[in-house]
Amino acid sequence: MTGAELTIDLLAKHGVNEVFGYPGGAIMPIYDALYGAPVKHYLTRHEQGAGFAAVGFARSTGKLGVCFATSGPGATNLITALADAMMDSVPLLAITGQVPTAAIGSDAFQEIDVLGMSLSCTKHSYMVERAEDLAEILQEAMHLAQSGRPGPVLVDIPKDIQLAQVPFHPWLAADDYLPQLDLNQVAIANQLLSEAKQPVAYVGGGVQGADAQSELMQFLEKTQMPAVSTLKALGSVLPDYEYDLGMLGMHGGQAANLAVQECDVLVCIGARFDDRVTGNLGKFAAKAKVIHLDIDAAEVGKRKPAKASLIADLKTSLPQLECFVTPQPWRDHTKQMMIKHAWRYDYPGEKVFAPYLLNQLSQRMPKTGVVCCDVGQHQMWVAQHMKFTHPSNHLSSGGAGTMGFGLPAAIGAQVARPNDFVITVSGDGSIMMNIQELATIRRNNLPVKILILDNQRLGMVRQWQELFFDGRYSETNLSDNPDFVQLAAVFGIPGQTITHANQVDDAITALVTSTGPYIVHACIDDKENVWPLVPPGAANDEMMTESAK
Amino acid sequence: MKHSLTVTLKNQSVAVERFLRVVRHRGFDLTHFQLNLSDGYYELDMTVDSDKPIYLLTTQLAKLIDVKQVTLQSVPQQQAM
Repeated sequence: MTGAELTIDLLAKHGVNEVFGYPGGAIMPIYDALYGAPVKHYLTRHEQGAGFAAVGFARSTGKLGVCFATSGPGATNLITALADAMMDSVPLLAITGQVPTAAIGSDAFQEIDVLGMSLSCTKHSYMVERAEDLAEILQEAMHLAQSGRPGPVLVDIPKDIQLAQVPFHPWLAADDYLPQLDLNQVAIANQLLSEAKQPVAYVGGGVQGADAQSELMQFLEKTQMPAVSTLKALGSVLPDYEYDLGMLGMHGGQAANLAVQECDVLVCIGARFDDRVTGNLGKFAAKAKVIHLDIDAAEVGKRKPAKASLIADLKTSLPQLECFVTPQPWRDHTKQMMIKHAWRYDYPGEKVFAPYLLNQLSQRMPKTGVVCCDVGQHQMWVAQHMKFTHPSNHLSSGGAGTMGFGLPAAIGAQVARPNDFVITVSGDGSIMMNIQELATIRRNNLPVKILILDNQRLGMVRQWQELFFDGRYSETNLSDNPDFVQLAAVFGIPGQTITHANQVDDAITALVTSTGPYIVHACIDDKENVWPLVPPGAANDEMMTESAK
Repeated sequence: MKHSLTVTLKNQSVAVERFLRVVRHRGFDLTHFQLNLSDGYYELDMTVDSDKPIYLLTTQLAKLIDVKQVTLQSVPQQQAM
C-alpha cells in the first residue's frame, strides 16, 4: 500500500466519509488514491473554501472535518481556516502535500515551509519525514483533533512519502491525560453557590465541545439560574428556558450585560472571558466571585481570576455542582430586565428592517435548521434576533471573526446534514470573500439557502467610523456591488431582490419552501446600526443604545 | 520578574520551535536557554522575564503535545495561583 492509499484508507477506517479540498502537484498521489475510493471528495473552488467547508462540517456535527490542499499556495490558502478552527476549538484535520523530501529546503517550485507556518494556528502539526511514520502520525492527528479541547491538526506529507510503500501499524491512543477534578475546588465552588444571592451562569462554546447541553440544562432547570451565552454558545441554553438572557458582550442584550454586572457569583461554563464578552475587564462582573469550569487549565485565570476552578470535561464537572435554587428576588429582577429591554421589531420605516426579517426567518424555518454567518453587522443581528436549539445549529466565526466563513461553512453543514435546512446569512462585504463557492453549490446540487443583507457598505466598520472616527468613511462604501441575484443566476441559483418591508414575508416563504438553493438579496438602510453597543474601553453596563447615541 | 524553568520535550524536529513561539507570543522574554538531547528527549533549562504571572506561560506550555514536563524552579510567592 502506498502512503497515499494508506491516507485514504485510514480516513475511511476512522469514519471520515466526506472530505473537502483542491488538488495540485504535490498532492496528486493522494488524489489518485481518492479516485474510486469510498471517501467522497467535494471540490471547492479555493482552498480557503475547503477549509471552511470542513469547519462547517465539523461544527454542525461535532465530528472531525477534513480538508486537503497541495503544497505552497494551496497550503497557505488553508491557513485562515486553521486559525479560525484554532480560535473556536473546532476538530479539523488538514492534509497538505509537500514537495519531495529531497527537495525540501531548496526553494523548489511550490515549496513553502507549511509546518513552520502552522505553528501559531494549529493545536499540533506534523511533517512526515519517514514513510514508516505515516500511519502513526495520521492516527495520532485524528485523535488529537478531537480529544481534550478540540482543535485543528495539520499533516504535511511530502510527495515521495505519498508514493512510497508504507507499513501500517495500528496505533492505540495512550490514555488521555484527563484532569482529575480537585474535590477541594468542588467544595469551594459549592460553598460559593450556597451563599450566592445573585448568581449568573455564563455559558461558552465548551458546552458543544463536551456535548454537555443536557448536563447544562439539568443544572439550569434545577437552579433556575439566569443564564447568558457567548456568541459561540448560542443554542446551548434552550430557547424556552425561563431565565435565558441571551448573548452578552459588546453587542449583547442589555438584560444579559446588566445581570452579569450585578451578579455576585458568576459560573463560567466553558468560556474564556474574551475581550468582546467582557468589555473593560477591570469593570466586568466586578462584584462577582468566579467559578470557572473548563477542560483547558490555561483558560483559568488567563483573563479573570477564579475563586474556584473545576478543570475537567463539562460532562464530568457540571454534575458536581450542587443545585441550590436561585433566590426569587434575583430571578424576578432579571426577568423584569428581560421585559424592560426586550427587542423591538416595530420599525416605523418602509425599508427592510434586518432584525425583523431575521426574527421572522427564525420563527418560520425548521428548528433543526442550521444558520451560518459571515462577520459584521448581520452576524450580530443573527445572534440577537434568531433562536437556536443547539450550538451546532449556529455556525459563526467567533474568535477569529473571519469574513468569508459563511458560504463555505454552509456547504460543509449541508454535506454533513443533507436533510436539514441550511442557510447562510451574509453581508454584501463578506459574501464576496468566498463567492466562488457558488460553483460548489451548483456542482453538488446542494440546497443551501443564502440571505444577503445588503447595505452597500462594510457596515460594522462604517458604524465604527460614524461613532468613533468622526464620520470619516474610509474605504467602506460598496455601492458598486454586483447585482447579487444576477450573479447567483450565473451559477444556476434562483432568487429575488427585496427592498421594502412588505416583501419580507414572501421572501421568507420562498427561502423556507424552496427545495433547491435559493438567494434572497435584501437591500437595507445603509445607516442602520447594531444596538446596543459597548464602546471600546467601556464597561458592559455603559452600553450605547440607539436613542442615546 | 525572572523565572527559571526546566522542560522536557519530545525530540521532534519542530518541537523546540513550537515551544519558543509560545514563549514569545505569550509575552515572555528569553534571557537564558540551554538545550541538551538525552534518551530521545530534549532537556531545556531556561530563564524568562516578564511582568506577567508565570502561570500564564506554564499552563500554555504544559498543553503543547510535545511537552512532557514543565517544572518551575522559582515561584515568587505573590504569583502562585
